[in-house]
Amino acid sequence: MNEKSPVVSFMGLNFDLSNDISGIIAALMVLAFVFYLSRHPSLRPSKKQNVIEWAIDFVNGIVKSAIPGEEGRKFYGLAFVMFLFIFMANQLGLFLQVTVGNTNWVKSPTSNPIVTMSLAAIVLLLSHYYGVKKWGFGQYLKNYARPVAFLTPINILEEFTNFLTLSLRLYGNIYAGEILLKLLAQFMHSFGVVSFVPGALLEMVWQAFSVFIGSIQAYIFVTLAMVYISGKLEQE
Amino acid sequence: MDKLVLGAALQVGDMLIYLILFVLMFVIVMKYAYGPVSKMMAKREDKINGDLDYAEDTRKKADELAAQREGELKNTRSEATQIVQNAQKSGETQRDQIITQAQSEAQQLKTNAQKDAEQARADALASARDDVAQLSIEIASKLINKELSASDQQALIDSYIEGLGDTNGTR
Repeated sequence: MNEKSPVVSFMGLNFDLSNDISGIIAALMVLAFVFYLSRHPSLRPSKKQNVIEWAIDFVNGIVKSAIPGEEGRKFYGLAFVMFLFIFMANQLGLFLQVTVGNTNWVKSPTSNPIVTMSLAAIVLLLSHYYGVKKWGFGQYLKNYARPVAFLTPINILEEFTNFLTLSLRLYGNIYAGEILLKLLAQFMHSFGVVSFVPGALLEMVWQAFSVFIGSIQAYIFVTLAMVYISGKLEQE
Repeated sequence: MDKLVLGAALQVGDMLIYLILFVLMFVIVMKYAYGPVSKMMAKREDKINGDLDYAEDTRKKADELAAQREGELKNTRSEATQIVQNAQKSGETQRDQIITQAQSEAQQLKTNAQKDAEQARADALASARDDVAQLSIEIASKLINKELSASDQQALIDSYIEGLGDTNGTR
């Protein structure tokens, strides 16, 4: 529980190596997943192609529900990659936790608030970018005074709360899941076989539930990301 | 070190790493996996749409052709009845014509024959009359030995022969 993260300082920036390594592993998992499924796409889809097409359709459905029509088309790819990355990142810590000595090297990268905030920042910066691109900077600013002028402070505040809720929801869910996993692992080791068997059973149950939570959280993250982007593209 | 949530240090470097990681991943996934697959999906959608349109077109054409054939068939049937009717009518008129022609020809022949017969009878009667007159005169002259003038007795002879002709006629 008292594991430390391997932090190194480089050119004045702090790097948490456990985050970086886990993130790279999750990204490689995403790449392996899509590469495995998308070789030689054809008009008559193979089984593998059906799987990735189902995933694409699923994510496209998320985008369409928030941004209907042609406008949402350019976010299909972003939503797809974001969904797969968060999904893989959430699952990574469930089957792979590498702790050497007192230092944790591999975990779910999404169990760190910096990582989830980075992802949320990517989404929200893109939402502002597309908002300015669509309306022009003046109109983009005026949109904060919609639907009525006195809501402007709340609208501005909302930008920050959006960012925090989007990132901390994901972080909280995955972090709590990992803490419980580690607690159960400690419990397994505490009294030998007496605690190992029930502990292992509990661990499996919790892992299964965490798979579910990880999938749901990836879905929620992408859904909300698209809702925030669509909020910048529409005028109330 | 800046503290953020739950004592985690603010690692700005991680943010940078994740931004680069995400962009790289995005580009690679788009180029080598998502792009080709979604292109294929779009192509399939187009093909299915095209096929559906084509099927609809073909069916419409087939329906049209069937309707056309039906119409033509009906036409042909009525034409056939027309032809048969025409043939019947023309046959009837021809038959009537032939019959009337035959009747008139027969009438003609009959009248001609009657005329000929009349003529022949008249001729025969005339020649017989002449012969009888000659003969009776000769007989009479031989009987009374006296030259009788044929012309003087002509009226008498004629009256006899008239009687003869009458008996002939009734026979």
